[in-house]
Amino acid sequence: MSATLAGVLLVILSSAIEGFAQVCLKRSAIVSIGKFRWIALGVSLFIFEALFYTGALQRLDISTAYPLGALSFVSVTLFSRWMLNETIDRGRWIGLTLIVCGAALVVS
Amino acid sequence: MDNHHRSKRALAIGLALAIVFDTAGQLLWKFTAATLPSTASLWPTIDAMLRQPLILVLVGVFFCQLINWLKVLEHADLSYAQPITSLSYVSVCAFSAHLFGEHIGPAKAAGILCILSGVWLVSQSKPLAGSGREK
Repeated sequence: MSATLAGVLLVILSSAIEGFAQVCLKRSAIVSIGKFRWIALGVSLFIFEALFYTGALQRLDISTAYPLGALSFVSVTLFSRWMLNETIDRGRWIGLTLIVCGAALVVS
Repeated sequence: MDNHHRSKRALAIGLALAIVFDTAGQLLWKFTAATLPSTASLWPTIDAMLRQPLILVLVGVFFCQLINWLKVLEHADLSYAQPITSLSYVSVCAFSAHLFGEHIGPAKAAGILCILSGVWLVSQSKPLAGSGREK
C-alpha cells in the first residue's frame, strides 16, 4: 500500500473517530446516569484520533491532509443523525456543505 | 422569556469560547507537532510528544475546551454546535496572516466567505431541534 493511500485512509478513519467521539460527549450531556463513562470514552477516542491524524500527517502532504480533515464536519453531522436522532434541516445541510468547502479552501 | 434569552446568551458565549480554545489548541498543536521527529512508528512519536514541555499547556487548553464544550452540548444539538466551531478555521487563518505575514489569496478569501455563510445558515436553525426524543 502506498504511503499516500495509507495517509488518506488514516484521515478518513480519524474523521470517523471524531464523529463517534463527539456523539459520546453529546450522550454524556443527555443521559442522567453514567455521564462520566461517556466522557471518558469520548476523550479516549479523541486521543486515538490525534494519533491516527498525526500518522496521516507524516504520510501526506499538508496541502492534502488539511483539506481532507474538513471531512470530520461531515462525519459529525452524519453520526448526529444516525446515533442521536438529530433532525438536520435543509439549512444545516447547506450550511454544512458551505463549511466543508470553505474549510478545505482555507487550509489548501 | 428572560430565561430563554439568558440561555441563548450562555450558548453564544459558550460557542465563542469554544472557538477561542479551538484556535489556541490548533496553533499550539501545530507548533508542538512541528517539533516532533518524522518517524512513522507510534511509540517514539508519543515519547517525543511527552518530552515536549509545551504539551502541558496544550493539555490545559484541551481540558478547558472539554469542560466548556460539555456545557455547550447541554444547550445545543451536536449538529448545530459543531459546524459553528468551523469559525476557528477563519480565526487560525487570520491569526497566521497577522502573526506570520502569511498571504490570504483569492482561494482562502473565498473559503472564509463560504465558512461565514455556512455558519450563518446553521445558526439560523433551532439550537435544540432534534434531541427531544432522547430518553
